[in-house]
Amino acid sequence: MPGRVCKDPLKNPDRPYLALGLEGSANKFGAGVIKHSEDGSTAVLSNIRHTYVTPPGEGFQPRDTALHHREWALKVINDCLAQANVSIRDVDCICYTKGPGMGAPLQSVALVARTLSLLFNKPLVGVNHCVGHIEMGREITGAQNPVVLYVSGGNTQVIAYSQQCYRIFGETLDIAVGNCLDRFARVIGLSNDPAPGYNIEQEAKRGKRLLSLPYATKGMDVSFSGILTATEAYTVDKRFRVDGQPRDPNNEDFITPADLCFSLQETVFAMLVEITERAMAHIGSKEVLIVGGVGSNERLQEMMGIMAQERGGRVFATDERFCIDNGIMIAQAGLLSFRMGFETPLAKSTCTQRFRTDQVHVSWRA
Amino acid sequence: MSSPSLALISSSTLIAQGAEAKVYKAHLTSNHLEPPVVLKHRFQKGYRHPTLDGSLTRARVAGEARALMKCLRSGVNVPGLRMVDATEGVLGIEWIEGRSVRRLLPAGSNEDEGEPDSEEKPEREAADALQEYGISVEVLMQLIGEEIAKMHLADVIHGDLTTSNMMLRHPTSFNSRNPNLSTELVLIDFGLSYQSSLVEDKAVDLYVLERAFSSTHPESEPLFATVLKAYEQQMGKDWVIISRRLDDGLLCLHARYLLGTNCSYFSASARSQA
Repeated sequence: MPGRVCKDPLKNPDRPYLALGLEGSANKFGAGVIKHSEDGSTAVLSNIRHTYVTPPGEGFQPRDTALHHREWALKVINDCLAQANVSIRDVDCICYTKGPGMGAPLQSVALVARTLSLLFNKPLVGVNHCVGHIEMGREITGAQNPVVLYVSGGNTQVIAYSQQCYRIFGETLDIAVGNCLDRFARVIGLSNDPAPGYNIEQEAKRGKRLLSLPYATKGMDVSFSGILTATEAYTVDKRFRVDGQPRDPNNEDFITPADLCFSLQETVFAMLVEITERAMAHIGSKEVLIVGGVGSNERLQEMMGIMAQERGGRVFATDERFCIDNGIMIAQAGLLSFRMGFETPLAKSTCTQRFRTDQVHVSWRA
Repeated sequence: MSSPSLALISSSTLIAQGAEAKVYKAHLTSNHLEPPVVLKHRFQKGYRHPTLDGSLTRARVAGEARALMKCLRSGVNVPGLRMVDATEGVLGIEWIEGRSVRRLLPAGSNEDEGEPDSEEKPEREAADALQEYGISVEVLMQLIGEEIAKMHLADVIHGDLTTSNMMLRHPTSFNSRNPNLSTELVLIDFGLSYQSSLVEDKAVDLYVLERAFSSTHPESEPLFATVLKAYEQQMGKDWVIISRRLDDGLLCLHARYLLGTNCSYFSASARSQA
């Protein structure tokens, strides 16, 4: 609320605190070390990630992804500690992703966290993945009390903080926006390296023609599955040319994969910006923060920037290091709650595929 | 200004701005003794591709006009339609002389929720204000229930039922046909409305209103039972299934999706007694 300044309940620490964060709710395994100093400042000591990349046309299966995480966990954690130049004995707590995410990869990471905790006698902190994104975004950009658009391969939510809770104002009614983009990349055979969404973005830059697609907002909610089906349907249209070249040089009426990527992006991003704007008008906020993997898309950032400017506000966004799933955000959110006295006892150090953003008690904010 | 609608807007007074549209008070003719109209302009959104923006605006203006027409034909009290310019995104509707229900109920005047209101006059006591309209709070609740039921019987779903989106006509500018009633309740802002005969949609519409009531008028919340009672009487046999849907856990799930809240669900038994 503008004009009302409340002091955060979180005091500056009496000594430097270190936390190791482990993330692996989808196809990235990440580890990071964060440091909270006595003066209240925060430093990212290291942030390392390894991504499980599947061949074009294929998604990542839970079993294979879990296998990838198990293979890479120790190497990534060792690299991460070496780069931060700290020993695991120095860290105050080990933070891991409790959920939401894919079951098998989450379990692998929770197992690693539990083992480290027992080996080195360190407390565990289970972290909500979405809250991790929000807290890291706030820390990096310095946004005070923004409306948060959280867009990734698994989640699409418009969130605002109120009374120690990140309230969800709007969300997807079916699939996540990143899922919609990734699956379309699969349909037209785009590479999954470095990320299917990134390749869609590059392809869309060459698109010229805006094809008509469904536009599905409902209040502050959105729906993407119908749009995906409609975009896929264009690939069996007789005007569609996979190679992007017309069959006959005089024929102007043809559809290229780039046109489809362009139309898909324009449509789904317009929907996202619209619901974000509605949430901003509803709560009277002028700041907007974009987090999550899709948040690294520059076209989305640009559209959000125009909207914020028209409203006399501003947009905060981060780059792929902090937008895409990473360990440091888990460390950040985990350390905040650890400093407020929160710990996850070993017996409760489970993980869950369903863990809503608004189920977390945000004790460190006023 | 090329189009006549935009020229009209440039000569009118801006009274409110939301996320979607700007609202103006305007005169369609040069005769300023004639009643004014409200112009709702869905302005161009710079972030959207112009083609997409154009087709969305056209569809939304036409949809809103269609919902108003349907309500008018079915005898629901809504503002009359004055002009439609879908291409420019301008909708002209009747100017209602009166006040929003939100400002007539206790605790409705502080700005804790909803779009910023343009009127900045200091608030008089809500009870005094209602007296001016010659009705009690109970009657007001009854009117709300009846009007919503009439709208739902016409298969129009409002989509954003709040006390800000209902107005009472001021007695001095209204010729009532009912000798016992000097005012009339008018439903406004059909920007999020759609047509549906599904019980679920109607139940969600009511649920949204209940949420709005409890957050904006916590003191008047018990009176919501009167709204439902009047709604029930007007709806007739359809009420049974709608109320069942309201009580249903399904709605809880749905409301979580629609309102983004973790459902601390209102007591089902309390509702069925109401």
